[in-house]
Formats: sequence, C-alpha cells, structure tokens
Amino acid sequence: MRSFLSVITFTICVAPVSAQPKDKQTDFAHEVVPLLKTKCTKCHTNGTYKGGVSFDTREALVKSKAVVPGKSAMSELHKRVVTRDADLRMPPGKAEPLTAKEAATLAKWIDDGLPWEPGFTFKPATYVAPLKPRKVNVPAAKPGLEHPIDRILDAYYTANKVTPPAQLDDFSFMRRAYLDLIGLPPSADEYYEQEGSLADLRRPALVRKLLNENRAYADHWLAFWNDALRNEYRGTGYIDGGRKQITAWLYQSLIENKPYDKFARELISPTPNSEGFAKGIKWRGEVNASQIVELQFAQNVGQVFFGANLKCASCHDSFIDNWKLADAYGMAAIIADKPLAVHRCDKPTGATASAKFLFPELGTIDTNAPKTKRLEQLAALITHPDNGRFSRTMVNRVWHRLMGRGIVHPVDVMGNKPWSEDLLDYLAVYFSDNGYDIKKLIEHIATSQAYQSKAVPLAKEIAGDGYVFRGPELKRLSAEQFLDAIWMLTSTAPVAKSGAFPGTLPPFPATTPKERQFIRVTLVDCDPLMRSLGRPNREQVVTTRPEQLSTLQALDLANGQILTTTLERGAANILKANPKATPDELAEWVFVRALARKPTEGERTAAKSLLGDKPTTESVADLLWAVVMLPEFQLVR
Amino acid sequence: MTNRELSRREYLQAMTAAGLATLAGGAPKLRAEPVAHPKASADTVILLWMAGGMGAPDTFDPKRYTKFEVGVPVDKILSTFPSIDTVVDNIKLTEGLEHVAKVMDRGTLIRSHVVADLGNILHSRHQYHWHTGYVPPQTVACPHIGAWMARVLGPRNPAIPAFINIGQKLEGHGESEELKAFTTGGFFGTEFGPFNLPFPSDAVEAVKPPKGMTPERFAARHAKFKELLKASPVGEMATDHHHESMLKSIENAHRLLTSKERDAFDITKEPKASYDKYNTGRFGLGCLLARRLAESGARFIEVTTEYVPFLHWDTHENGHTTYARMKKEIDRPIAQLVLDLEQRGMLDRTLVVLASEFSRDMMIEGIPGSTARDQSRAKTDKLGELKHYGLHRHFTGSGSVLMFGGGIKKGNLYGETAAERPLVTTKNPVSIRDLHATIFHAMGVSPKTAFDVEKRPFYATEDGKGVPVLDLFAKGK
Repeated sequence: MRSFLSVITFTICVAPVSAQPKDKQTDFAHEVVPLLKTKCTKCHTNGTYKGGVSFDTREALVKSKAVVPGKSAMSELHKRVVTRDADLRMPPGKAEPLTAKEAATLAKWIDDGLPWEPGFTFKPATYVAPLKPRKVNVPAAKPGLEHPIDRILDAYYTANKVTPPAQLDDFSFMRRAYLDLIGLPPSADEYYEQEGSLADLRRPALVRKLLNENRAYADHWLAFWNDALRNEYRGTGYIDGGRKQITAWLYQSLIENKPYDKFARELISPTPNSEGFAKGIKWRGEVNASQIVELQFAQNVGQVFFGANLKCASCHDSFIDNWKLADAYGMAAIIADKPLAVHRCDKPTGATASAKFLFPELGTIDTNAPKTKRLEQLAALITHPDNGRFSRTMVNRVWHRLMGRGIVHPVDVMGNKPWSEDLLDYLAVYFSDNGYDIKKLIEHIATSQAYQSKAVPLAKEIAGDGYVFRGPELKRLSAEQFLDAIWMLTSTAPVAKSGAFPGTLPPFPATTPKERQFIRVTLVDCDPLMRSLGRPNREQVVTTRPEQLSTLQALDLANGQILTTTLERGAANILKANPKATPDELAEWVFVRALARKPTEGERTAAKSLLGDKPTTESVADLLWAVVMLPEFQLVR
Repeated sequence: MTNRELSRREYLQAMTAAGLATLAGGAPKLRAEPVAHPKASADTVILLWMAGGMGAPDTFDPKRYTKFEVGVPVDKILSTFPSIDTVVDNIKLTEGLEHVAKVMDRGTLIRSHVVADLGNILHSRHQYHWHTGYVPPQTVACPHIGAWMARVLGPRNPAIPAFINIGQKLEGHGESEELKAFTTGGFFGTEFGPFNLPFPSDAVEAVKPPKGMTPERFAARHAKFKELLKASPVGEMATDHHHESMLKSIENAHRLLTSKERDAFDITKEPKASYDKYNTGRFGLGCLLARRLAESGARFIEVTTEYVPFLHWDTHENGHTTYARMKKEIDRPIAQLVLDLEQRGMLDRTLVVLASEFSRDMMIEGIPGSTARDQSRAKTDKLGELKHYGLHRHFTGSGSVLMFGGGIKKGNLYGETAAERPLVTTKNPVSIRDLHATIFHAMGVSPKTAFDVEKRPFYATEDGKGVPVLDLFAKGK
C-alpha cells in the first residue's frame, strides 16, 4: 500500500484568469506542507521524533498531543511557535522563528480541524529506485532451464512458493507470438503447415521469422510509438503550425530497427524530421505556466524515457515523489530559446531556470552553451552507459507489452518497486549490452519459457505491492489489432494508405503470406470505430490502452455501421473465394483464421446451424460477428 | 427501495471496471476520504448548449437598442434587437424569445457568467474549459461534466446510457478533433463517455439492429453467439476479469438494443401536435429527444445547437440576421421543454441549464484590455450594409445562463451587467467553476468529489474549489 502513503494534492493550479473568491478553508498542500517542511519535519518525522512529537501523519500528530484539532489556543504546537521564551520556542535554538503570518497559517489550520490530505505522509517511501545499471548473477543453468530469464524466474518461483505456469500448446503460442510481435494472427497456410507437421513448432525460429518481417513489425509497433510520442494526431496545435509530425522518421526507424539509444538521441537532439516530439504542442492563447512547450518537453522526456512523472513538479515541488520544481524547470531550460522564468503554481518566483539534468549524478548540462549543444549534452546523458533508468524503463515497457503487466507497475512509475529487481536489472543490462536492439530484446523475452507459458486467469486486477508473478496475463487486442485481424480475416482492408501518411511504403518481403500484405490500421486515418475502441487522441502521452471492453464499445460492435458493413463485405469475399464450401468447411475456414484452431464438435454444430444448409452472405456475416465477439478472439491468451 | 434503484445497483455491479481508461498511473479510484454530499434537488440534467458563443446583448441581456441605419457609428450599438417583456416584471429579453419570455417565471436567468479570458480565442478551448471545468491543455484527459455524473451517480435506468450527447457531429469539420478532446469520458474511460446522437431524427438507429438487419436476425445472431460461447473451450479463462467484463459489456449493450426503452429514442413516436411544437430544426428536435430520454431515465443529456466553425452562434459579421434565425430555432423548443417537464411533474427534479462558452460584443474582443486578436470579418466604423449589423466579437466579461427546475428559484434574475460598454459584470459574478459546483450541488454531488489519477486527486470542480451559488436555489433546498 506504499503508493497510498505518498499521496497528496494535485497540481493543477488556478487557471490564468479566474474570478474566484479566495477559498476560506486552509489549503493544506499549498499553505501548510511547505511551512512544516521548512520548520518542523527535520526533527519530527521519518524516524526522528524529538520530544515524542511526530508529524508523519495526521493521526501521529494528534496522538503526540501536540495539537487539539479545532482549538489552536489549546494546542501545544501553537503555543510553542508563538512564545517569546527562547527555551520553549519552536523551532528551537538558532533556527528562524515563524513569522506572524506563518504562525497565523498554522493556527488557522488547527482551527479548521487540521485538514490533511488522506494518505499523505512526510515519511518518504522506503524504496528508492537505483539509477546505475546492475549486473545480475544469473543462477546456474539446469537441464531444461537454460534461458537466463527462466533461471532468474526459477529462483523467484522458489522464493515466492509459486508453481511455475504450464507451457502453452503450439497453436496458442503461434497466435500469441504473431499478435504480440506483428499485430496479426497467423495465416491459414502457416497454421496448416504446423498442423500437418509431425514435429513440434520451432518456436525460436518462428519468433525470429516474425521479427524479420520488417514491414509487418513496423506497421504494428507504430501504434505503440505514436501513443508514446504523441504523434499522428490532427487536432489541437496543427491548426496554426504549433505541432509537427514525425511519422516519416518514426516509421523508417522501426523499419530499420534503429538502436534505442540512437532513436532517443535523435528525438532529443533532433533533425527536422524528428523534432516534432521535442517541440511539443504550442497552444493558441494563454496556457498555464506548467503547460508551456518547454515544460511539456520536460514532462514527456521524463515520462517516456524514465517513467518519471514530472507533471506535479512542473507546478511546484511534487508531493507524491521526490521531484522538485527545479528538476522540471532544469529540464525545460535545456530546450528553452530564451531565459525561462520559474513559475510556482502559475506565479513567477523571480528566479530564472538553469539547465539541469534529471539525474545530475550522471553529468551536467552547460547552461551557457547554445541550445543545440545543450540538447546534444542531454541526449548523451539520457543514453549514458551508467543511466540504468533509461534501459530499465524500456525493457519494462516491452515486458509489459508481451506479458500483460510490467515488472514495475504501472509502467510510468519507474520509482515503484519491481516484483523482481534481478529480472529487471538483468534485462536492462542485456538490452544495453546488445546495442539497445529492441528486436533482440523482444526475441530474448519471447524465447523464454515464461513467455511461452499459459496465461494466468485473474479474477481481478491486482494493484499495489502484493503482486506476485505467476505467468503472463491476458491482453486485450488494441483497436488496431482487432480491426487488422478482421481485415485480414475478411480481405476488407482499405486499398490505399492515408494521404496524410508520408512517403511510400516499403514492399513486403516475398516470404510474407498474401493475407498479410495489406494496408494496416496504423497507416490510415482514425475512423469512429477505431476511436471508439481506444485509438487515442494524442494530446497526452499514452503508454497503455484500456484493458476492458466497455458497454458503449460493445454497442458499436453490436450495431455500429462500420463493423456491420465490413463483415457483410467480408462475408461476400469469403463466399466468392470458397464457392463450393460446405457449412462445415466454412466454419473451419473462419475458426482457423480467427482463432488459430479448428472448431470443437460443439462449435461446429452451432456454426452449422447458424449458417444453414446453404450459407448466404447474411449467415456468413453473422458467423463472423459471433466469432469476433468471442473473448477468445478479442484477447491474446 | 424502488425497482429503479434496485436495477441501478445491479447495473453498477455488472459494470465492474469495464471501460476504465488505463492510465499511466493505473485506473482512477474514488478517493478514500469521504466527502459530504449535499442532498440532491435534481436527478437529471439537460444542458442546452449554445455552441459557438451566444452574444448576451442580442439574446438574454438586452441593452440600448439601435435600429439599423446606414451611417450609424458601430461603437454606438449595443443591441441589434429591441427588448421585450417577460412574465417576470424585472426580466427583459430581446425580440425573438417570446416563448421563453412566457416561462421565465419557472426559472432563473443569470446575467453574470464570467468565463476565463484565454488570450487568443479558440472556441474549442473555451468549450473544453466549460465542459470539463479545466482549462486545456492538461496533463491528463479531463472528463466531460456528463461523464462525472455518469461515473459518480450512474444511470437512472440501466437500459438508457447515463450520458447522452445530442446534436454534435464529431467528424468532418475544421475543429472536430478539438471537440473530441472534451466530448469524452476522459480518464474515467469510455464506459462513462457520451452516447453520441448527432442527428435526433436518426437517434433510433443507434439503438436498433444495424441497417438492413431484421430484429429476428439480430436476435438470432446474438443467440448463436451465446451458443458458440457456450461451446467454446475457454476453460479456466472464463474466470478472468478481462473475459468476464467483456461478456458483461456485450450483455449490457444487447439489453439496450432490445429493451422497450428504445422507443424513447424514436421521436417519430411522438404525437404530431407535440412533435410540431419542437420541430424548428435539429436543435428543436434534440430538445424533444432530450425530454423523451429524461422521461426514460437518462442522467445527463446535452443538446447542442452544434458547433461548426463560423456557423450558427459563431458569427463574426451579419450577426443580426443570424441571431434572428437562431432564436427562431431555440425559442419555442426551450419553452416547450420546460412546459412539458412541468406538465409531467418532472421539472422539480430535472435541472435544465442553457449556457455557452462565452458571450459577444459589437466592439470588444475578449475582455477590455485583452490581447486577443480582433476576429471580426467585416471591420468598419459606420454601418454600411446589413452585414455590419452584429459584428459580434468574442466577449468574456459577462454572459447569460438560464436555469429551470431542479430546485432552482423561479422568476429570478441573478447578477447584473453594465448599461454601457464595456458590458462587464457589475454584480454577483459566477465563474464556470462555481456554476459547475452549483450543478453538482443540485445533483447531490460534492464539488470536492475527487478521484486519484496518477496518484494525485482530481476534483469534480477545479482543484475542488468550486462553491455552489446557494442563492440560486429556492428555499428549502
């Protein structure tokens, strides 16, 4: 429950111009916390409790008998800060006493009943995420247990008294690997080839084959990166040139599997093709000081590359972690064209920000250097060999994509404790040792037994520190995966990419099956169904998609015109391609392509009764609908 | 416990966490700290949205009237319509609002709605502010106020989506992406987002089987799906929460598509006499649809005149002519809505709010002293032709809001604006934050209600600081 203990208030400060009367109630977060932090907590929190007085929590403070909520005159705290007796006065000794105004703030706080942010504590979280990479001593291999990931997990299972998950059968593995790596289910030929083979599936070879399909890989992972880098969105900011696409650069980077350190450096210290990310979104009109493009840069770099949340610290010192206003502004100053005035809660503090890297222990940025130089320095520090946070954040994102949940959860809070530090640290070093090769990292994870295990059903989402890894989790298909799979199944993909998508698309390798050679969802503009299913507005960085189907989404699937029309067209295509197929053959045709398995007897019976003796466009469309609505279709298992 | 309450409870149980947006910091949770919710005086909100910036001096806040004559200096002009009496002595409206004038004894007119001046004016930014309570950009996706109602209060009837949005196309015009940014459940996820019905006449299509599919085929298809599901070798996966919530959502959707409440969406089922009273165009029919949905148990309904850049209320020239048309579209349906709700005994528990993202003035862009660029399209010093009559710059210093029902005072005028330019608020300013707090208060929701988003509290009203304007409520509330 640690995450609750460090909670405090939000940072959205008052809008630029609000004609609001001053709130009468004491504002604990903004008025009281800073005061207590400078005057009291050094001697009265976090293990040091002079005079037995603890400010850790509201309960502790009341229990210490230092205050009587509602009655400042009767409170020792109030008496001690206003007394003229130097022996009794707090803070003691040479410390500066409270000003009359500060004392009044404290008195009012007590009189207001000691309002406190629920869950807030001055006691800092116990876990401190390490910065440097750490080489892990991987337990020795045993027969049948060669993969380093599995050796680490084996020790983990033993320590946590977990029965290792059972292995997945070949066809379930195929569907999972195809969907995870290239975003599509296997083709029918690929299914039947394995089905007709006497040998077990050569899984490592399959993983390599899929990753080598550059085009399909890029088409799939483009969605992930568009989300993370706020790319490919036509809304706010584009009207008056306040925003720039990086699609051409991004797509090329995926096609050529650009090493992640180089990728990051090109985003930070950019070329005209890749500068859209760093430039952010320039809004028309006045915006809150915490949302200027320079601070957007700080926030986005922090979130994307480090899983560090600088949103709070863009407005004031964060209450939920250790980031300070100076950290956010230090990062912002790196990209600022002009000296940047520091604002606290939208009001200038009078200070000017100087360039500072988030992890100054790795190196400094020369404030006086020109902007391009500063960005170069920043790019070098972000990808510094000693910057383990950079590699850990990325391996955790990839693990999350493949396994359904991060080693650190959630993926954007890399300050949280991983469920296995060994695994996280091992993967991070593996990643950097292998030239930050993302495909190699995916391959490494996907060839582990852990990835090849059966998914573990969870009755509900497990939050907090109680999580124990028992195997991969179910993953919902993204809007792109869901529709791509339907387009592939029904041959209904659009004939051309969006006009807004730059450049020409690379050809498919000759070995790519025909069914897979089509225009994918990521290459076309968002339509209402894609939007409904979760293809986001990219005003904020998005790193995870909704995991559950909502009622309104189900409604769009049940009677929305887009899906209905697609399935009708698809049914006609299927009948045209299989004019002589019996109902039974059609049922198998659909199941193999949609679910990478043949129907069971019961399913055959149900499908046949749906299709009738003489399948029609209507009945085939209905069968398609019934199949794509199955959780088995909509989930990666 | 009534049946309706019972079914609502079941619905909420059935929802599980379906549709929650997965956020950087995990799904939002209601804060552990209990807040004291006020006693509700309304169960339903109908928001009548005057999209594009409705100018108060030519609608609900008449000022000195100047007739059109060639050569009149434009800075002399405050109103381009004469004022008219209403059934309430001290409330005057402008010509063209005669039907609303007759029901002013059922509600309150606020003339002192002051919205933020965001510098360079972009409608969608102000609309975002009004609908979510937060000025964009924000670091998290803010929910629409309707999504707050859906999330906190749930549906009144499980067969009717809690939050319904009528009259706004979200595709195919200049600022559609910007509209989508706030027409959303935000971090609450799509389960609480709007059910969009851009064309009231087609609303029933949204709850019917898809085009070309008979109800019989639709029912059979669903039955076959269940058969397949039953035969499917899911094994232990059936217990997984992804799996389970998916099936619940599919069942919820199917229930909506087969329930008898579907008739509420079909405005052709309305008796002709009544239909005709509303039929002034899309907005009028939207009001009719809203009434039918309120009767059937919707929680929050927005009906918009529709925002399309430079259309309808968004006029920068020729304002007089455009406003004559707009008033014709809104006047009768609004009055009829109020009367119908009253006649059905629903007005007491239904809060009708009419509002806009800002007001307009012949001469001033923004507020006096604002840096906003003058966006008038027919700049002139003297009236030359009719297009100069009603130049309608954006104005944020005052604006009009109407409120009917839901515990709001009747026949009441609140706030005041200057008699001469600048027409700023001179008494009782009401901000968006406090207006939202008032709406939440009427619905029995504390404006301090908060959810944890990325570990930070996010409040129903900005920073939890919205204060309801209690003076707007009738005594006894």
